[in-house]
Amino acid sequence: MYEVFFQKFNQRTPLTEDEENFIKQYLIPKKLRKRQYLLQEGDVCKSIALIEKGSMRTYLVDPAGQEHITAFALEGWTIGDLPSFQSELPSIQNIEALEDCELVLVSKSAHDELLKTMPKYEIYIRLLITDAYMALQKRTLNMISLSLDDRYKAFIDTYPNIAQRVPQHMIASYMGLSPETLSRIRSRMNNSK
Amino acid sequence: MNTKQTIAIIGATGNMGSGISKNLSTGNYRLLLFANELSKLQTLETEILAKNPTADIELSECPTEASWEADVIILALPYPAQQQIAEKIREVANQKIVISIANPLNETYDGLVTAPDTSAAEELQKLLPNSKVVKAFNTVFAADFAQPVIAEKQADAFIAGDDQDALQTASELVVTVGFNPIIAGGLHVSRTLENMSLLLIQLNLKNGYNWLAGWKILHQ
Repeated sequence: MYEVFFQKFNQRTPLTEDEENFIKQYLIPKKLRKRQYLLQEGDVCKSIALIEKGSMRTYLVDPAGQEHITAFALEGWTIGDLPSFQSELPSIQNIEALEDCELVLVSKSAHDELLKTMPKYEIYIRLLITDAYMALQKRTLNMISLSLDDRYKAFIDTYPNIAQRVPQHMIASYMGLSPETLSRIRSRMNNSK
Repeated sequence: MNTKQTIAIIGATGNMGSGISKNLSTGNYRLLLFANELSKLQTLETEILAKNPTADIELSECPTEASWEADVIILALPYPAQQQIAEKIREVANQKIVISIANPLNETYDGLVTAPDTSAAEELQKLLPNSKVVKAFNTVFAADFAQPVIAEKQADAFIAGDDQDALQTASELVVTVGFNPIIAGGLHVSRTLENMSLLLIQLNLKNGYNWLAGWKILHQ
């Protein structure tokens, strides 16, 4: 139920068995079915989720009603809307299960309590947010500096096997491309193999 | 809230459980219904969908699975079943809201089996130390769910618990079901709420209210 959560935690900062049991008291085991929401626009993001099994996406809907995918998350990834989680203000994003999911949730109150009482949790969160920031910066730089083909390669490096698990139009939305453009990139890359 | 919450109702086919299930099915909730007898559960499902074809309900074969998937768990079970179910859901109910509706009545309905310094809800909290136990729906009768307004007054439904967010969520459930929510206090106030229910049962038997009765606080 918490295997991947503690595997990821231990990679960043190793825990004793007692420390794992202490943290376990604060965790919420939760299942979501495909197409169910962890968060919908207008609600406050009350918890962050580690994916034990399955995949999810975050997206926002622009004033013209167009969806824009802002992130995918696979097993072992953490997903949430950080600005809403931190500020406790309504989110502008939606977080949806793309497959049946098993999640481990940490609520805002549990998160605040763990930050106060457990230095290792603070280290874990600092490293998690640092990694997320670096990934965001890399994505921004890739957008500016890489060719479309290289951007797609970078995407596949970041999200291995995702092309088999997620519809192409969602990947196109994430990359800010039309599905036709993405299809051309993919066929170019297949031909060059 | 826009995000649909999943509610597991354990004991969904009992008098109380079916009333809660039918009324909650009208709200923005996904319901996972569990009961021991599948045939009764299927009858309940048919009844709910006949009245409300868009109800988001699913029958569950396992209380542990239903509780794992849920955000909120309602134990619509008699008090003697509490300990056994608590053991089945303890791990998956971690940090979740668990609603206790039970009144720990004795066999002759003229007293409670719990000691005066505790309550069914507090005993449940001891069994589920990492869950957010809330007392709710114990002060209303099963028939009240079909008719929450009695003698032109909307029945009150009292709530007790120690977690503010959990009390807020329970209040929203009470509103959806059709009663007027009153947060009575911390979980220890369950002792009073369970005794209020005992008194209402005794008055019902004495005065022949036909099990359609409830509490109402009158105030300015």
